[in-house]
Parts: sequence; C-alpha cells; structure tokens
Amino acid sequence: MVDTRPFLPVSSSDGSNPSEPLANRCKTMKMRLSIFFGLLVVGLFAALLTSNVTENEHGSLASSTTAKPEPLRRVSRGPGAGVSEKSNWLFGRDDENGVAFPWNNSMLSWQRTAFHFQPERNWMNDPNGPLFYKGWYHFFYQYNPHAPVWGDIVWGHAVSKDLIHWLHLPLAMVADKTYDKSGVWTGSATFLPNGKIVMLYTGSDAQAVQVQNLAYPADHSDPLLINWVKFTGNPVLVPPPGILSKDFRDPTTAWLTSEGKWRFAIGSKINKTGIALVYDTKDFITYEKLDGLLRAVDGTGMWECVDFFPVSKTEENGLDTSVNGPDVKHVMKVSLDDDKNDYYAIGTYHEKNASFIPDDPTIDVGIGLRYDYGVYYAAKTFYDQNKNRRVLWGWIKESDSEAADVKKGWASVQSIPRTILLDQKTGTHLLQWPVEEIDSLRLNSYEFNQVKVQAGSVVPLEVGPATQLDILAEFEIDKEALEKATGSNVTFSCSSSGGTVERGALGPFGLLVLADDSLSEQTPVYFYIAKGSDGNLKTFFCNDQSRSSEASDVKKQVYGSMVPVVEGENLSLRVLVDHSIIESFAQGGRTVITSRVYPTKAIYGAAKLFLFNNATEAGVSASLRIWQMNSAFIRPFPNLDNKSQ
Amino acid sequence: MKNTFSLALLHLSFCFTFFALTHISAMELHGHGANLIETTCQRTPFYNLCVSTLRSDPRSSGADVAGLARIGADKLKAKATATLRQITALLKVTKDPKLTTALRQCVDYYNAIVKYDIPEAVEAVVKGDPKFGVEGATDAANEADACGREFKNQPKFPIYGSNKAVHDLSAVVASIVQLLL
Repeated sequence: MVDTRPFLPVSSSDGSNPSEPLANRCKTMKMRLSIFFGLLVVGLFAALLTSNVTENEHGSLASSTTAKPEPLRRVSRGPGAGVSEKSNWLFGRDDENGVAFPWNNSMLSWQRTAFHFQPERNWMNDPNGPLFYKGWYHFFYQYNPHAPVWGDIVWGHAVSKDLIHWLHLPLAMVADKTYDKSGVWTGSATFLPNGKIVMLYTGSDAQAVQVQNLAYPADHSDPLLINWVKFTGNPVLVPPPGILSKDFRDPTTAWLTSEGKWRFAIGSKINKTGIALVYDTKDFITYEKLDGLLRAVDGTGMWECVDFFPVSKTEENGLDTSVNGPDVKHVMKVSLDDDKNDYYAIGTYHEKNASFIPDDPTIDVGIGLRYDYGVYYAAKTFYDQNKNRRVLWGWIKESDSEAADVKKGWASVQSIPRTILLDQKTGTHLLQWPVEEIDSLRLNSYEFNQVKVQAGSVVPLEVGPATQLDILAEFEIDKEALEKATGSNVTFSCSSSGGTVERGALGPFGLLVLADDSLSEQTPVYFYIAKGSDGNLKTFFCNDQSRSSEASDVKKQVYGSMVPVVEGENLSLRVLVDHSIIESFAQGGRTVITSRVYPTKAIYGAAKLFLFNNATEAGVSASLRIWQMNSAFIRPFPNLDNKSQ
Repeated sequence: MKNTFSLALLHLSFCFTFFALTHISAMELHGHGANLIETTCQRTPFYNLCVSTLRSDPRSSGADVAGLARIGADKLKAKATATLRQITALLKVTKDPKLTTALRQCVDYYNAIVKYDIPEAVEAVVKGDPKFGVEGATDAANEADACGREFKNQPKFPIYGSNKAVHDLSAVVASIVQLLL
C-alpha cells in the first residue's frame, strides 16, 4: 500500500507506515534507512542553504552603534532613502542655524490669516463639493474636529455671499455610517436639470475599503443646506475588479453625455500608473463602468482629486461642466499622491470612448504643468452659474512643524478662490486670478510710478503695515542690458538655484515681502531672466523661502517655474500678502506660486515691503499699486438657531 | 511485504524532500516573514534598526508592508512615550536652568510626536491615505531632531540615545509608509 497523504510533517513517525516487521531483512533495511536519512539531510540542507543566501545578500552591515554622538539628519518630506534629499527645513548645510526656534504666542498668533478661509481651529485639507445655490456660495472641506493634524475626517461647511466673507455652519456630514466610518472623504457636487443637488463622496468604510456614496440636501428649500441625507442604499460604488481597496477615491462632478446619461471620473492606479476610471449613470444609484480610462500615465502613481472640465477657446467666461464643442478645450487635472502637487493638461475630450487626449503628450497629465508651483494641493473647480465663471479652490497646508501647529491650535488654509480660464494668448496655459470680489477688501492705496531700482539695490516702499496687502506691479528691464548680456547654456530652475543670493546678469529682481528693516528676514517674490546661448530669453518666476524666517523648523525651499512672456507684454505681478500666506501671480496668472512663511521678526508693525534688484547688470523700473487689505471677518454664522432648518 | 515497505520508505523520503523544498519556495513566493522584512528595510535609511525592531514583534512574520508599517509605528510610540517619561523625570531633578529650558522644549516636541504625529501615521496607514502617514512620521523625526538641537551648546545630552532612537525609527517608519503610496 502506498501512503497517499502528500505532505507529512518532518518529525512524524506516527506509525502511518503500513509496513510490517522488518527483522528478516536487516541488511536491506539499513540501506533503505540510509537512503531515507540521506534524503532527509538533503532536504534540511536545502532549507538551510536557501535562508543563508538571503542573509548573505546583505553582507556585513555597517556598525550602527557609535560611541560619539553624531548630528541627527533632518528628514525631508520627500521620497525615502536612496533619493538625494534637500532638507526641507534648513536650506543648504545641516545645522547652520543651530537650536530649534522657541515660538512664542505673539509670533504664532500673528500667523493666522485675515482673509483666507480657515476654520476656527484644528485641521483642514481638501476642498469638497463647492457650489452656488439660492444666493449663497457653499464650501465644504475635509476637517478634523479633534486635532490640528489629519485624522477623524468629517465634512466642514461654510457659506458666503461673495466667496470672501465666510460664515461657518455646523458640520455637514460626520462618520456615522459603516460605509464612511473610517472617514468622510472628498467628493463633488452635481446639479441635476431640476436644480437639485447630488453629492458623490468617498467613504473609507469600517474595513477601510474606499467606496463611493451618494448624499443630498435634506431640505432643498433651505438656502443654507445645513442638513444632509445619506442615501440608504450606500455605498453605490465599490472598488471594481483589478483596483485595490485603498486606490479608489475622490469622484468628480458629473457631466452629461449626448445620450443623456451622467458621466464622472475617479482616480486610481495600477502599479505605478496613475489612471482615471469612468462611470456612467442615469440616477446616481446604479453605475456602469466604462471599459476605457479617461487617461492613464505611467510612473505618476495614485491620482487623487481628479478634476475634468471644459474651458472656452474664445470667450472669457466659464462653462458648465457638461459643455462640449468645437470652441471648447478640456482640462484634466490630478493631484499626485507621490509628490503632493497638482498637475493639469489641456486637450480634447472624445465622448465616444470617454477619453482625454492632451494637446502635448510630453506634458501629459501629471508630468507637465502645475496649477501652482508652491504649496497647493487637492484643488477642485466648480461652475459658478451666478457669475458664469469657473472657480478654483486649492488646499494650502502648513510649512512649519506639527509641534508648532499643535501650539497654535490650527493647520491649513484655503487659497483665495481663483477664476480659471484658458490663456488665449498662448493656448498652452491656464490663467488663474483671484476672484474679483476680493477687491472689496481693499482699503487705502499707494501708487508708485517708474521707480528705478539699479542693479544690486533695494528700495523700501512706504505702505504702512505690510502684512495684509494686495500688490499689483509691472517691471521694465533695461533693454540695453537685455541685448548685451552674454547667453549661456546653463539651465536655470528656481528650485535648484541658490535663491536671490544667486546673481545673474538679468535677475533676480522683484519684491521683498514680509521683510524686516534689517532684511534679516525676507521673502522675495521675483523674476529671473536667463539668456540662452542662442540669445533667446527665458523668464522664470520664483518665491525664495530660504531667508523667510530665522526659525529653523520651517521649510526653506525656493519655488517657481518658467513663465511664458508674450511679445509686447511687460513683466507683471500680483501678490496677496496675508500673514503666513503669500499668493503670487505672474503674467496675469499664467504662472502662480503660493508660499507659507513664518517670520519671527518681520511680523506686525515690523513687517515691511521692498523692491529689490540683485542682478549684476540690468537696472529695472517698477510701477506699483498697493492696497492695505481689510480682514474678511470669517466667523460662525450668527443666530443660527433662529433660522429655519 | 518487504517490497512494499521499501517502496513506502522511498516514497516517504521523496515526499519529505519535496515538502521541504516547496515549503521554502512558498516562503519566498509570498514574501513570507524574514524576506519581506529585509526587502522592506532595505528601502529605509536605518536597515539594522528596522530589521531588529520589526523582528522583535511576533506579528511581523505574517505581515504585509502595511502591517510592518503598523508594527513600526507601535514600536515608535512605545519608544517615544518612554523617552517623554524620561524627559519629565529628568525635569523633576534637574537644577541647571539651561538644561531645564532644553528639556521643556523637548516635552513640547515629544507631545507632538506621541499625541499627534504617531496617531496620525497609524490612522493614515490603516485607513488608506498613506501620504499623511509619511507626513506624521517625518514630522516625528524632525521633532526629535529639533529636540536634539536644544542640546547643541550644552555639555550634557542626557537623552541622546533615546532621542536618536526615536529619530531614526521615525525615519524608518516614514520610509516604510512611503512604500504604500
């Protein structure tokens, strides 16, 4: 009889052996036993050998215990080990500034913004479901009610008549269902033809699977949309086959197809290829997943907060999300989980196979242009039917330490909402500009005409308090110097440059924001013109945080990008300064940079504004209009209990 | 009968060898235990620390990368909590005013690590938005670094060892969570 059990434990000798007495054949028995034990040894040896191999691959490891204390390496927030890291706190060499900064309450409370949206306390991240309804702009957002770090996420809610003066409302949705128990995450609103609103949002369910849920206002006659109802049949979508349970989030606003169905996209990834899945639905309850993807780009990783919308090629107004046609281009935007930046591509939408083809595949979604070259993520647009414009929201997180956030009791702000348009002059860029309603915050203004700033000089601008400002500036550079400058084939980039201490023939020049009198703290917002060996000029627009603060536990990077300058254009800037946030727009918003800065001295009355020119050869002349900005007095909605709910 | 016995014995031998060898390949195929720890730790800046920390927890032998991140975060929390206790104990007995100032600053940094950074990292890993886990763990390393710099111009750095362990382990955890992106 042959033993039919395939695997026997190593040490088993439990008598399953059906054989019988052996005494008669001692000699043969010994041989067979030797074979058995021989094979046993072979097996064991093989096992041992395999595990030895893996150990040897690592060889001898460097001793990790040293008797002498060595300086700790600051860890950047970028990719892990193996990638060259630029310390994100201290620009350049380690430990230059020594001891960590002892923040005091005066410094910390100065950091809070006066006219940017932020909740009264604690943590905020992604904008959610922005919309205009019955006379109010609504803004929802990812919120942690318990701490100034991400966690326990629910939906915060605020309303405004003008996108600037916000009033806080009660939380719109909390994590009270199994399908969003682990988090009420990002979602978008869609208007139905009858004017009703549906909200599709991601829930991290009780098993931490990412699912899509439907919610809608409890009472459509309530202009404040205070109460929300979650569809009893949730979740309406779960991760499809081939998609991991933690790679399925942030559904977009839906748009109508020519068949009268609703269509939306949702980001995901397959290995390291970022993708956008597409679904069609008639009722937001049952969905049909399309076979094709809206777009996929290798190496970009997980696509968060996908946004997809039309822009007019001919008009300077916004378009409803469902619009398509020959005078329309489409914009596809993604937030890349891997590098925490927002990217967009301009291209064409083909409804038939629900695909997006970028105009220029070399700058495809996720590998080309960014909305903003500073701190800006999870951005989302909505069509504002009130003023026929498309409005963009973006989350601006902190650039300081979490310990400081804990001390001050809050973290993150939103950018000022921006209108977004196709740049008709270039056709390759979008233009972003703060919504016009922000002009209502302007108080007294200061005008400066043709101020000459010679190469290597700084000119103070007397504008009174300099922590809440709206600055419009135009620069003209000395034409002769432009022509005479020798070109080189050295490529320039803001982020790898030494900031404003690195002098070129034709730059840097611009503004020093939140600077103290002695310039020990300063945040330059500036242009740098590089001349190629072929004589062609390239203009760069940068923000230099490296000397923004004497504190060592804040980010000290240089941000920015090349900005296209069209023939006949002057170099122009708009800068919004609001305490610890600076939003800067070059060439009408063709290139935008948002920075967070935390000066320790250049605060309150000690903060000043300067023009500067650190070029070696070219003089510049600047004309500016600068306004003091009022606070937006963002606060809780008054007397809410008396309002009908 | 003797033939049957011989056959059985031979069969047994082959079966055993086969079993032993397939068991080994199965281990490798599913990144079982030791292998996944080692390949994961290779992607962190402190390999030895990573391996010894993870291996010290019995859960690590069956864990996937998210599980290893979880274990790392738990170990980090224990180490950071212990270090915080060490700091507060020292504060009670220290008479040197400079040392007191430095230690007080470190209390703030370690509060951030224990009460905010690490819970944030754990929640991010468990709930599936790992970038916040990288943030939290990286910040923990930076807070430990900031604490260390409080002692830069001081003759004594009584918590050097613990603080370095917290810093290094935070960096390890951040790197492991980064793999989940």
